[in-house]
Amino acid sequence: MLGLGLCLSRASASVLNLNCSLILLPMCRTLLAYLRGSQKVPSRRTRRLLDKSRTFHITCGVTICIFSGVHVAAHLVNALNFSVNYSEDFVELNAARYRDESIFFPFSQDPRKLLFTTVPGLTGVCMVLVLFLMITASTYAIRVSNYDIFWYTHNLFFVFYMLLMLHVSGGLLKYQTNLDTHPPGCINLNGTHYQNIHLQDYLSEHFRESFPEGFEKPDELTQKRFVKICMEEPRFQANFPQTWLWISGPLCLYCAERLYRCIRSNKPVTIISVIRHPSDVMEIRMVKENFKARPGQYIILHCPSVSALENHPFTLTMCPTKTKATFGVHLKIVGDWTERFRDLLLPPSSQDSEILPFIQSRNYPKLYIDGPFGSPFEESLNYEVSLCVAGGIGVTPFASILNTLLDDWEPYKLRRLYFIWVCRDIQSFRWFADLLCVLHNKFWQENRPDYVNIQLYLSQTDGIQKIIGEKYQALNSRLFIGRPRWKLLFDEIAKCNRGKTVGVFCCGPSSISKTLHKLSNRNNSYGTRFEYNKESFS
Amino acid sequence: MGQIEWAMWANEQALASGLILVTGGIVATAGQFTSWWFGAYSIVAGVFICLLEYPRGKRRKGSTMERCGQKYLTKVVKVLGPLSRNYYIRAVLHLGLSVPAGFLLATILGTACLAIASSIYLLAAFHGEQWTPIEPKPKERPQVGGTIKQPPSNPPPRPPAEARKKSGEEEAAASAGVSGGPQENPVPVVDEVV
Repeated sequence: MLGLGLCLSRASASVLNLNCSLILLPMCRTLLAYLRGSQKVPSRRTRRLLDKSRTFHITCGVTICIFSGVHVAAHLVNALNFSVNYSEDFVELNAARYRDESIFFPFSQDPRKLLFTTVPGLTGVCMVLVLFLMITASTYAIRVSNYDIFWYTHNLFFVFYMLLMLHVSGGLLKYQTNLDTHPPGCINLNGTHYQNIHLQDYLSEHFRESFPEGFEKPDELTQKRFVKICMEEPRFQANFPQTWLWISGPLCLYCAERLYRCIRSNKPVTIISVIRHPSDVMEIRMVKENFKARPGQYIILHCPSVSALENHPFTLTMCPTKTKATFGVHLKIVGDWTERFRDLLLPPSSQDSEILPFIQSRNYPKLYIDGPFGSPFEESLNYEVSLCVAGGIGVTPFASILNTLLDDWEPYKLRRLYFIWVCRDIQSFRWFADLLCVLHNKFWQENRPDYVNIQLYLSQTDGIQKIIGEKYQALNSRLFIGRPRWKLLFDEIAKCNRGKTVGVFCCGPSSISKTLHKLSNRNNSYGTRFEYNKESFS
Repeated sequence: MGQIEWAMWANEQALASGLILVTGGIVATAGQFTSWWFGAYSIVAGVFICLLEYPRGKRRKGSTMERCGQKYLTKVVKVLGPLSRNYYIRAVLHLGLSVPAGFLLATILGTACLAIASSIYLLAAFHGEQWTPIEPKPKERPQVGGTIKQPPSNPPPRPPAEARKKSGEEEAAASAGVSGGPQENPVPVVDEVV
């Protein structure tokens, strides 16, 4: 009745089933963070797969897009065929109510009636519109410029899934329940079509071609396998919607995770101090009960006094340790949310003092955090040698690593860290100049001067200020003017660490990231392997 | 929420709807459906919409990512003047273009998508947004020698500019080695002839 259209639509529906179920899994971020940190995932290769979760999500999304197009086109053809090939023999199978329900009348409404009055048709149309809204808002240009549109439309996915559950419950596809009593190709002796035809004539007419050589007696055919007589009318029943099996698992998992995150982030944090840093950066230190985080992870801040709906991710620059429960983030003030947040925490009247007195902590707005979530930078402590490159405010994940090394470096596998920090403004280095100097001194005291190798680069200079500060002599002697020369750096690291595997981490502009990726994949003559760990932001 | 620029989203939607219209139109015309002339119409309308929407408008704040090769079409769209600048006109235009395609099953999806795009354009126009073309910035030629007004009057070694200015202000030449004339040495220079 339907021909090729049915095959295409069923095939694309199967692909859609799989993708709709898989697409939710990379978004269960707490689960991924747990997998990353647990001992159950021992291999580094498996952990690196988790870095690609956003790319996987996008790939599934694009696949859903393409195959929805195929599915819709095939079903439009089916809608046509359902009425053109209306079958009087098997009335139950038809979706159209009578022959020629559809398009023989040019201006009739009937094709749309077929589409809109059946449950699968209506839900299908709504799903396509929801998908259209979600896809047009998810392009790279929109994500970069107006992240809000992307976020709010993407939350329509829940409507999409509800519609999907209804879509498959319409029962349009049917299978035959009594195959044993009415096998395909059997002859209906009592049917109106064959009433006046003698069986033998019928058999000889229709089955002449299938007679094997040397067969003469048509009577014997009635006992043979390939001709049967129907005992009863065929009965049809709708297929069980397979989609429910596919998507219920991941959907329940995702809902459980969101619920868990909601409950966990319900208690506000206590802000201990707010510190203003040069170049529009603000540091917030806070405490929260039962908050544990590994270095390199990030949290999502939510402040209802600033905006009821917006959440923003920030990397932790200081993680809670066994001895100290304080953790902190550094925020760069770009955009309206961070500006309003800064005005709430550091009122303009006291802008000349750097650290607010403790007495003002009563007036801090309520702040909720969600997380911590994993990132590829956690892996830098698990390599024997790591190269960490930071551009500007991208130094924040590495700051938490440095803080952890300051606390205790021995439990980790890391034995040598190359830390490259590129900034445009020399005042930016003051964000972590203290931390770097203290760390440097600690390793000199412990007689491991080559543990941390610091190189600071000032990419744009107006020539006026050439040192960071008088007390940061260790950093001043490691400050270079101009951009780093990556090839030379890689050669030097390869020569000093022959035969080892070096983990390369970059948090900065994509041009640096691309260069590092290319250099990491090149062979070098010292037998050193560079593994590039990529973080994907929006 | 107040800072969202709806026009960019409406632009993406309209471009996507144009493509959907073209696809539906091709299917309808090639399959020779009944009343396939609607299919032909939707191909033409789709192409027109794609060309109109291809150049992305400039954002109010921040830099805008251009689409590949959009500067040629920007010139054409700019010529239309207020017809292309005003988003109310675009909303009405899209709504009008979408209606005839709704009569054929193959292109009905394009109608729905274009109608949504038209309503978002209406929202954008309501917020007072306008289409501004992205102009290529005129290349600033580095001004060679713009700050050099005159060539230096003294041969090297020349003291830095501050010292030269100071010695110009002093009327009397205090040091003994000054001979007067074009060269005035702030520091006495003694020729050591061995």
